[in-house]
Amino acid sequence: MNLQLTEEQSDLVAAIQEILQDHSDIPQSARLQSYWYNEKLQHLLTSNGYLNVGREFGPLEAALVAIEAAKIPVVAEVAVSSLVAPQLLGEEVVEGPMVVLSGRELARAHRNLPIARHALIDLGDDVALLPVDPDNVEPVPSVLAYPYGRFIRAPELRGARRLRCQGTHLRHWWRVALAAESAGAAQAAVAFTLNHVKQRHVFGHPVAAFQTVQHRMVQCHMVATSLYYLALQAAWSRLLYDADVAACYAQQHVKKIVVDLHQFAGAMGVTNEFALHLWTYRLRALQTEAGGVTESALDVARDRWNSEKSCEAQPAPVPLVSAEAK
Amino acid sequence: MEFGWTAEQIKYREHVRAALEELLPPDWEQVYVPQSYASDAQIEFSRIFCAELAQRGLLVPHWPKQYGGNDADDWQHFILSEEMKAAGEPRGPQYMNVNWIGPTIMRYGSDEQRREHLLAIASGKVIWCQGFSEPSAGTDLAALKTRAENRGDHYLINGSKIWTSYARKADWCFVLARTGSGRKEVSVFLLPMTTPGIQVTSFPGLIKDGHLNEVFFTDVKVPLSARLGAEGAGWTIVTYALSYERVGVARYHAGLEALDRAINRRKKENRFDDPVMQTRAGIIAAKFEAARLLTYRVVDQRVHRVQDTSEANLCRIAALEAVEDLMDFLVQYVPDCLTGGDALLEDYYRINIPAGITGGTNELQLDLVARRGLGMPSRL
Repeated sequence: MNLQLTEEQSDLVAAIQEILQDHSDIPQSARLQSYWYNEKLQHLLTSNGYLNVGREFGPLEAALVAIEAAKIPVVAEVAVSSLVAPQLLGEEVVEGPMVVLSGRELARAHRNLPIARHALIDLGDDVALLPVDPDNVEPVPSVLAYPYGRFIRAPELRGARRLRCQGTHLRHWWRVALAAESAGAAQAAVAFTLNHVKQRHVFGHPVAAFQTVQHRMVQCHMVATSLYYLALQAAWSRLLYDADVAACYAQQHVKKIVVDLHQFAGAMGVTNEFALHLWTYRLRALQTEAGGVTESALDVARDRWNSEKSCEAQPAPVPLVSAEAK
Repeated sequence: MEFGWTAEQIKYREHVRAALEELLPPDWEQVYVPQSYASDAQIEFSRIFCAELAQRGLLVPHWPKQYGGNDADDWQHFILSEEMKAAGEPRGPQYMNVNWIGPTIMRYGSDEQRREHLLAIASGKVIWCQGFSEPSAGTDLAALKTRAENRGDHYLINGSKIWTSYARKADWCFVLARTGSGRKEVSVFLLPMTTPGIQVTSFPGLIKDGHLNEVFFTDVKVPLSARLGAEGAGWTIVTYALSYERVGVARYHAGLEALDRAINRRKKENRFDDPVMQTRAGIIAAKFEAARLLTYRVVDQRVHRVQDTSEANLCRIAALEAVEDLMDFLVQYVPDCLTGGDALLEDYYRINIPAGITGGTNELQLDLVARRGLGMPSRL
């Protein structure tokens, strides 16, 4: 057990933070939109190999990159390309940005579909890898802080490449990815609001001086911190249980983060000019994915208790083994 | 960064489990555990059990060798704590000795106090109780009224303490008493419970027998040498001690065990098919797993000598959220757990009734994280 980043991991985080920082400004003309997709940043992350860290280093490093990318106010697609795709496609790289879609709900609007070049489609047992034709996608306006779009015509899945028996694997890594994105968005939202409540004065005091605000801010901070470690643990262990736990924890706490942080932002928080929604409404978007909290919680229950064996017959949980022990 | 255990840590955990297997009596789970760790039976058992642990080097492995330990790292100490908690905490009140009383004496004690107490604690035969809370000073500990008057060659202590778990069986008390007029002018005293003038009274309550005691101090004469650290240094000492206590008890571990037990009861009765119940159970498990990682983070920071600002407080807040959900879950889905249907779950429930109060209220933890962790301004 060692929860400190290694020197290489710290360097990786510092390096991506530098690039992200340089490209995190939203242009004046787009400041009032519900999201801003930075295509230049997307190209930079791709060409500099950041979307390939999952292959080069491993899922933990990919999760670190996804977390950092989710902290900036502009959108770039990182989590699926860097964290999910390598787990399903191995060394093969397909053109991004990428999206994960539920095959049961193809007709509805999907996050990042307007910018996507490839989609991984959950068909239950199998997964389809589908090139996305931009001419077949229409944008859908949404308060959710990602580009949303839907297929104009139902995509032709028969011609898509099938990844046999990869459905469970896809849902597993989809949950790791959404937990990582949620962790970054939650951390950024908490930091942004914390700064606001320290600066803003009401009744002659900073908002942050009121105990009720303090307590709820701490609870939000606790959620964001927990989520960071749960997401990284899920990426490190590669265990389905950890992925389901991380997603379940993320999705069950979205209400807490969104309601409290917007409450503290007051009326400012309902304007697009005030950037809080760029993170909180990402969380709302992520809350709906991979089955949402009900399915992630049911899967936690299934992972933990649905063994055929009785309680007494079950062995004690086997501690995870570190790389050193392996 | 990695979330797994080293080969050495795995071996150590197996070693602890094997020792537990060997040392716990066959009726441990049926007879002792339901009585709770503050019961007279468990306290007395702890004197035998901890002495055996000490013989095997499993009581204070994280202490320095000179005090009976083995210089083990914080992770070993924590693995030990996890396994003890999972087994129903057979160390009884002695978990306090090894977690914070010993380390606090190590840090602030005189040579004489270290000699007297540390080897005794390391032998596993001594019981301590904690004399902090008073009827009018719980969360606001600085409001305590018990006074230790310096009479030149001794102190005279008068006052009372309440909620003092283990007091009626304890050999020693770690007492906080006022030695000056300022709010935080307090000092710590290490008192034998046999000192004339100390009287213990138990009273009934919602939590298990043995936890609810009142300790009265009437003209208790104690030597100057019984004071721990300098006069007036009590606040610093107690802050240090509590930072160890807050992370010392692996609440998530006991919580997950209780949740597993509840679910397995439902499964045995073929009543685990309710998706609402499964969803709630999954949500609670995720909360406990979050608390586990926040707790590991505190241990990890200690291992790496990272300054602890408020992380220990944060993991208590996380654990409490899960504990409260679980208590509600137990009543709804194992409805006979408070009416004799499951002694272990009843014990879990009743011990946790004051979970948000003991060791510093949840509100206090929130205050501390707000100020120390998030840099929010002091209260209005």
